[in-house]
Amino acid sequence: MAIGLGLAQPFTVKDARGQTVTVRSVERIVSLNGVTTEILFALGMGNNVVGRDTSSYYPAAVNKLPTVGYQFQLNAEGILALRPTLVLGREDARPPQIFDQLASAGVTVVRVPDKPSIEGAKEKIRTIAAAVGQVERGEALVRALERDLLVLRSKQRQASVSKTLKGLFLYLRGTQTTFVCGEGSNPVGMMELAGILNAAKGIRNCQQMTAEAVVAASPDVIVLFTKGLESVGGLEGLLKLPGVMQTPAGRAGRVVAIDDLYLGGFGPRTGRAALDLFVGAYERQGLYIANP
Amino acid sequence: MNVQYPSRFSRYRRVLIALTAVLPASLLLAAGVGAYFISPLEIPRILWEKADQAYAVLVSIRFPRVVLAAGVGALLALSGAVLQGLFRNPLADPGLIGVTSGAGLGAAIFIVLLPGSGALQVFALPIMAFVGGLLTTILVWQLASSGGRVQILTLLLAGIALNAAAGALIGLLISQATDEQLRSLTFWTLGGFSGATWTTLLAMVPTSLVALWGLMRLAHPLNALVLGEREAFHLGVQLEPFKRQAVALSALAVGTAVAAAGGVGFIGLVAPHLFRLLAGPDHRYLLVGATLLGASLSVLADLVARTVVAPAELPVGVVTSLLGAPFFIWLLLRYKREVLW
Amino acid sequence: MSLLVAERLSYRVRDRVLVQDVSLRVEAGEVLALLGPNGAGKTTLLRLLAGEARPSAGRIELLGRAIEEYKALELAFVRAVLTQRREINFPFSAYEVAFLGRVPHMQQRPEKPLDHARTEWALEQARALLFAPRTYLSLSGGEQSRVDLARVLAQEPRLLLLDEPTNHLDPKHQVEVLTLCRRLVQEGWGVVVVLHDLNLAALFADRLLLLHHGRSIAEGTPAEVLRPERLEAVYELPFTLTQHPSGCPWVLPLVRSTCPLANPRDLAT
Repeated sequence: MAIGLGLAQPFTVKDARGQTVTVRSVERIVSLNGVTTEILFALGMGNNVVGRDTSSYYPAAVNKLPTVGYQFQLNAEGILALRPTLVLGREDARPPQIFDQLASAGVTVVRVPDKPSIEGAKEKIRTIAAAVGQVERGEALVRALERDLLVLRSKQRQASVSKTLKGLFLYLRGTQTTFVCGEGSNPVGMMELAGILNAAKGIRNCQQMTAEAVVAASPDVIVLFTKGLESVGGLEGLLKLPGVMQTPAGRAGRVVAIDDLYLGGFGPRTGRAALDLFVGAYERQGLYIANP
Repeated sequence: MNVQYPSRFSRYRRVLIALTAVLPASLLLAAGVGAYFISPLEIPRILWEKADQAYAVLVSIRFPRVVLAAGVGALLALSGAVLQGLFRNPLADPGLIGVTSGAGLGAAIFIVLLPGSGALQVFALPIMAFVGGLLTTILVWQLASSGGRVQILTLLLAGIALNAAAGALIGLLISQATDEQLRSLTFWTLGGFSGATWTTLLAMVPTSLVALWGLMRLAHPLNALVLGEREAFHLGVQLEPFKRQAVALSALAVGTAVAAAGGVGFIGLVAPHLFRLLAGPDHRYLLVGATLLGASLSVLADLVARTVVAPAELPVGVVTSLLGAPFFIWLLLRYKREVLW
Repeated sequence: MSLLVAERLSYRVRDRVLVQDVSLRVEAGEVLALLGPNGAGKTTLLRLLAGEARPSAGRIELLGRAIEEYKALELAFVRAVLTQRREINFPFSAYEVAFLGRVPHMQQRPEKPLDHARTEWALEQARALLFAPRTYLSLSGGEQSRVDLARVLAQEPRLLLLDEPTNHLDPKHQVEVLTLCRRLVQEGWGVVVVLHDLNLAALFADRLLLLHHGRSIAEGTPAEVLRPERLEAVYELPFTLTQHPSGCPWVLPLVRSTCPLANPRDLAT
């Protein structure tokens, strides 16, 4: 039934701008965003995906697909070279003219909403599902996500946490590019979901890391993406960053590193990622890495 | 009449003629090749029949991009040649008068302090960059003026001072930027032609035409200036209006180029030098030749940028630097050998 | 009508007076030499005559018209100036540098074969034709001077203002340059030339103007101007006057010689 619908009927979907888009063919899909690609595969549309951006690497099959470049440095011709019938991407893809350029070549473009919250994740899944005519499977993913969150809640209740931990999220890309993330950022949203307090008070989104900010935050646990941890040379390198050793987290070596897309994507696996984060912070000592 | 001298000038003419053939050839090559494969032989038919997606790719995406690359290359090369003549220094580039760092500051202010929605960015960011570039040059000029006259050396120092100030302010904005804003700014600075649309090109036309036409007319005064300001005056050049025109028109040219394509480096420095080595330094030929050469180089650099790692692409600034740096070293070695001994 | 008339020129910069109350007149067909010790104001005076700076007092008229009324381009057709130092940073050939003299002409109309003809003539007069194809920067100081002279000749003005054109030249070329000046004035040009060498001035100039501390000390024929007591006052060096074989006055500074054959009796202190 699903396949028949996929070819015969145009789908309509409301995109991130609130506008209705009609999708006529899902035969060749290009995804300009990591979580979008993940969701497409989760919806069973993996065979239709012919191209992805460099931030798409999950599931493993994705890595065999040709890449159209970095999502903030796209070029229309490269995408069109793959002869897509549908292109899905975030509103903040760059250059901003890319969507109009693709549309002028007759390609259907759907701007996928990207709000960093559980509701946002559900909206994202539903939008993509509607665009590719997999509404039922989309709902199944949403229900799975809600189940994961229930599991997280019950685990949190069972664990009878004595003291709520303060966590500091560091966004690292090498020792010279270091950011502390605060309110409004995706990772902090995840920390709060996992029951960890945001130690970075007064910081909005991600700002450049200073030793003073780190020490003032005085976190019990440091959270980061695994790519970030690798980029500074593992735990050793992380502890050498200015201010880190002067924090309770640094002294105890309590670090939780979780895969970028898994933790930061706000997609189908978000519930499980939050659970992993909770376990890593509250139930483990030392360095905990989650790389599903 | 000694037959040697006409031959020197005929070398200029020969190189110019060659360049007027090289530019259209580059344009055709770049228009025929891209990540989206279209057989060059099919292109006339596709254009005639307005056939399907290939037509849209050519007309809405590839052609504007190629034209933008040519236009930006021409503007940068011509203003580079004029400023090298004005400052009488082969290392001069448009950045000296503050327009590039001013444009960067305008862009940084827009990105960090006034974040707008994606749609606004398309128009507002280039306008901010353009305005930033022009305002900074005006400031540099005012700083260098005294008693209604501007000394070239003072102009140079004023440019250095304001470049430093703009750099400091940009640094300040960077330190307060979120990672997203930083990313936007970095990519703007790297520059590129992938956002080219016919609307962009149309917006560029008025200022580009004024700048190109105005700068080309400075060939004779620039020649006269070769020996120095006093000698230029003796040869009939009105110095202050000439300096004003050179700086203002260069700022207009570079401001337009940077607003449209971000920071694309090297072409303004390399194209005039390449022409001097191929033909010679006479500005009557150099200005036209550098413009043609700059346009061609830019088109070819963009072609490389968008085909070498297709369907992804390299930033154009990276290609021009990768090609420009060793090229410049070669230029330097030849210069040392042929000119200074 | 005189080519150039200057009346009571003064020029002050802040509180320093560089030229004080100098008057002179240049006619077509004559060479006027400006003489004087270093710092006497010769170059400043030349700059005033060239129109580069506005005098603080006094008038200058070129071809009967006040110099302020001339536009820069109009001036270029009346007078050409050879300065003491030029720096060029680009690889122009010597020919191209000489060709720059044609810029005023080519500002008004496109390049013509006449421009090249005049440039070649100028290079030949300045004895620079042989190395014209070479890069200017690769020439010796003397060769560069000759190319620069060719440039001012190519400009085809009515009046030449030359600031120490003989500076880097050997005696033969010094004589050639000044002989060239004489040839030109015979064809109706006017020449004002700043010289250090008093005797060359005497040999080749029709009139001399002797400057000291910005003032005109004497003006007239070489015989009238080159008097030993006057020269001593200006140059602070004793001079003696003799005669060049051609009949022109020849002045010699009287100094203690270190030449071993000299007879100490003939010398002053």
